[in-house]
Amino acid sequence: MALRGTGTGRILLMKRKVALPTLLFIVFFFFTSVAFGQVQTRLRVIRASNVGSGFDPSLRDVHDELGSLFSFTSYRLLRDETLSLSPNRPVSTSAREGRIMIETTLVGLRKNVVELRIRVIGEKSDILNTQIRLFPGRTVLIGGPRLREGVIIYALSAQF
Amino acid sequence: MKDPCPSVSKLLEKYFDREVTEEERSLVEAHLPGCPNCQEALNMMTGLRDVLKNPVEEAVEKEDFPWVWQKIERGIRLAEKPPWWESIRSWLDISPLFKRRVWIPAVATVAILIFTLVLFKKTPSHPGASVVEYLESPIYNVMVYDLEKAKVTVIWLFEGPEQEEFSS
Repeated sequence: MALRGTGTGRILLMKRKVALPTLLFIVFFFFTSVAFGQVQTRLRVIRASNVGSGFDPSLRDVHDELGSLFSFTSYRLLRDETLSLSPNRPVSTSAREGRIMIETTLVGLRKNVVELRIRVIGEKSDILNTQIRLFPGRTVLIGGPRLREGVIIYALSAQF
Repeated sequence: MKDPCPSVSKLLEKYFDREVTEEERSLVEAHLPGCPNCQEALNMMTGLRDVLKNPVEEAVEKEDFPWVWQKIERGIRLAEKPPWWESIRSWLDISPLFKRRVWIPAVATVAILIFTLVLFKKTPSHPGASVVEYLESPIYNVMVYDLEKAKVTVIWLFEGPEQEEFSS
């Protein structure tokens, strides 16, 4: 090449040498971050009861759904956690004063779909084992176990 | 001792090796019948050749040189393989496509396209997809309810008939 010995030629060669690894790195980083990245999942623990009345302000986004589905008069947010889930690594959250554990495991991650294994563990045995698929904007409510005068409801939604 | 026929004797060796020109060959052949010295010199060369040639040819015929092939094979086996990055680099140097420098804009275009597609693609609503793939509860009765409009799925655990707080 005629420019090889000149300053301009060296710059061109350097650019050429740097361009390919940089682009490969960007593409590789993009795909690996999607394939192996963490998923943020929001888990809210709600106590629903007929003692008193009122809606926790933090539950505004699910107010209509809870109101239309259940006949409870009071909804209190007991816990609001954002779980950072890595593939096949269970994350445990306690509820009902530590007597119930909810174990969330990321088992699948595809474009716009997060697959989660949920295990609700009681004092003596498992209460529920389920595997769900979460899409953006969808919430899964798991409810039923009694808590004092009311019931406990878990609200799960993925953030990605 | 003085060479009696210096012009021809210089050519004798070339003549013997058949390296003379046509003109030189005619000169030597015209000279030889009348020159016993040159005849003797030529005969000596022929005798010497026979003495050397025959044993060498016999030895070569008997030998198939296996050690030579062994050495070549060993050399091939021991030849150091270039590292993979060197192979890729040499391939890139050889490839005419890469020599033309079209790959930089091509790769950049592909990368930009991928990013654009991923970033600006509309999120599918997954209307027919099932949210609950698997469900098991050893203690409770379980009901699954999908509220497609509100994008909410409810998994409800019933302890017994007395718990009727779920409004249908």
